[in-house]
Amino acid sequence: MTTREPTREPERQPTSRPGGGQVLILAATVVALVAVVVVAIAVGSVTVTPDVVMSAVRKGLAGEPLRPLETIVWQLRFPRVLLAGLVGGALALAGAVFQGVFRNPLADPYLIGTASGAGFGAVLVMSLGASTPFLARVGAPVAAFVCALATVMLVVFLARVGGALPMVRLVLAGVVISSLFTAGTSFLLVAAREQAGGILAWLLGGFGFSTWRQVGLLAAVAVPALALVGAFSRALDLLQLGEEGAALLGLGVERTKLLLLGVATLVTAAAVSVAGIIGFVGLIVPHAARLALGRPHGRLLPIAALWGAGFMILADLLARQVIAPVEVPVGIVTALVGGPFFLWLLKGKADER
Amino acid sequence: MLRRLAALTFALLLLAPGALATNYPVTVVDDLGRDVTLVAAPARVVSMLPSHTESVCAVGACASLVGVDTYSNYPAAVTGLPTLGDAFGPNLEAIVALEPDFVLVDEYSGLQAPLEALGITVYAGSPQTIAETYAFLATLGTLLDRETAAAVLIGRLQGELAGVASVLANVDAPTVFVELDPTPYSVGPGSYLDELLTAAGSVNVVTAAMGPFPLVDPEYVVLQDPAFILLTDAPFGVTAADVAARPGWGALTAVVSGRVVEIDQETADILSRSGPRLGEAVLRLAAIFHPGTF
Repeated sequence: MTTREPTREPERQPTSRPGGGQVLILAATVVALVAVVVVAIAVGSVTVTPDVVMSAVRKGLAGEPLRPLETIVWQLRFPRVLLAGLVGGALALAGAVFQGVFRNPLADPYLIGTASGAGFGAVLVMSLGASTPFLARVGAPVAAFVCALATVMLVVFLARVGGALPMVRLVLAGVVISSLFTAGTSFLLVAAREQAGGILAWLLGGFGFSTWRQVGLLAAVAVPALALVGAFSRALDLLQLGEEGAALLGLGVERTKLLLLGVATLVTAAAVSVAGIIGFVGLIVPHAARLALGRPHGRLLPIAALWGAGFMILADLLARQVIAPVEVPVGIVTALVGGPFFLWLLKGKADER
Repeated sequence: MLRRLAALTFALLLLAPGALATNYPVTVVDDLGRDVTLVAAPARVVSMLPSHTESVCAVGACASLVGVDTYSNYPAAVTGLPTLGDAFGPNLEAIVALEPDFVLVDEYSGLQAPLEALGITVYAGSPQTIAETYAFLATLGTLLDRETAAAVLIGRLQGELAGVASVLANVDAPTVFVELDPTPYSVGPGSYLDELLTAAGSVNVVTAAMGPFPLVDPEYVVLQDPAFILLTDAPFGVTAADVAARPGWGALTAVVSGRVVEIDQETADILSRSGPRLGEAVLRLAAIFHPGTF
């Protein structure tokens, strides 16, 4: 798949100067995202009035003691909505980078082992935590983060030949290592059957107990990542010409690939460690953005990140609202929305041939 | 008077064995709607569920057990028996090797089909409510020729629950949130644990509309502000300190007043196994909710 020549789109010049349409899309995106955030904070299983939200914000920012309803708004709902936005943005950004680097529309942030590694680390801690105090202290988020990075490093090490990192080898190594870790996760899940419900819920992802600290941590990773990847958007455009073509135009292909994959993996691991493995966002949002904006990554990346944020906030809103106050794991919502969309995309691609 | 009493005793002596002994072959219907027929009192019984193990022993048939599932740890008499995997990961060969004439399994284990194919009689089911627990103990008494012991046990359990209920008749019932795991999954009406909570004089904040095993929005718990939080996930490492550190949960009444209760492993077993320790389960919960009274 990855060796296929990229589809040339001559009518879409990779220019960095956005046209009027793009400015409109960006402006509409920002307005829509703000609206989504406001709605998601206003609506929940507990009904609050706008003045409660206002006083919660005022007191929360001032650090004053909060009444119960204000606590719900400031300590639970604000971090929840913001974290969902950051995770959605991070996954969509990482997905856009992976699809760009691999020149493969099927690529998603979990392709080369992030999810299976993170899942294995988290399940290891959750299943053995009760009997192994050291693991309990480490905690699932840290274990997920570390294992995700370690897994991707292992995959890159295995795929590398000489100084080069052939994409086919990377995908193959990623798939096989993912299978291995998934098998390990399944084994732990069976061995710790009494906790299987909780572990499965973590694997499906969710924002139930999001904290301001998590918001801060993820923002500290995701925002610089967006800036860094954005600075390499021209390199991503060049990579679409094929690695040889990009090298001819003066791009340090191997170094660029490693840097982009490294940053995308880092934000993915950070997102997974705070929210679990939430599927489809990293796959479908970049596609939607590409359909609307074309390939130039200078436009694609920020729009994908903002749309990913909005999509995830809406998905979480749906997850906590559809049978409130009972929650649906958000991964089920994104998959239910994302799955059909992806199949439609797949079918459309097949019909083009 | 004395003659009448003597006559009555004599009549009872005649009747009792007939009324409270099983006439084999006996047929009962299990939770899957299958007819389960035993032609004689089983001599080699295998239990693949901890609550079944406890029930078999509680009706006085512990000696007939030849093997149990991995989680069966009560009463002490069963701890030396061969362990055969658990309900959903059974060691079929090990079960068959014990040559049982009767096997008790969970209705969702799927074990009845392969065992039945080998000619072994299987009961597939497990009580999900207090009423079903009484009914199951009675059924087990019939199957194992222990009807008297089962009737006495059921009477004792009903007496214990009635006793707790009468003590709590005029006592206010505090609200409670039960956490099965830190996601947090909880229990609601329709579950065995919810019935125990009610019997022990408390009010579950999870409502019937939310279902028996809901994944609860943390906001909902903050709004309900329960007087007690029970951590049945404490054996897996969740602590009261963890609960206090959750966003927005630090100011909850249960947290501030020190009523986040870490359930120990033994109590967690008793609360989750619908069987002969039903009375013990209610008493332990009542002691948590009403420390001055129990």
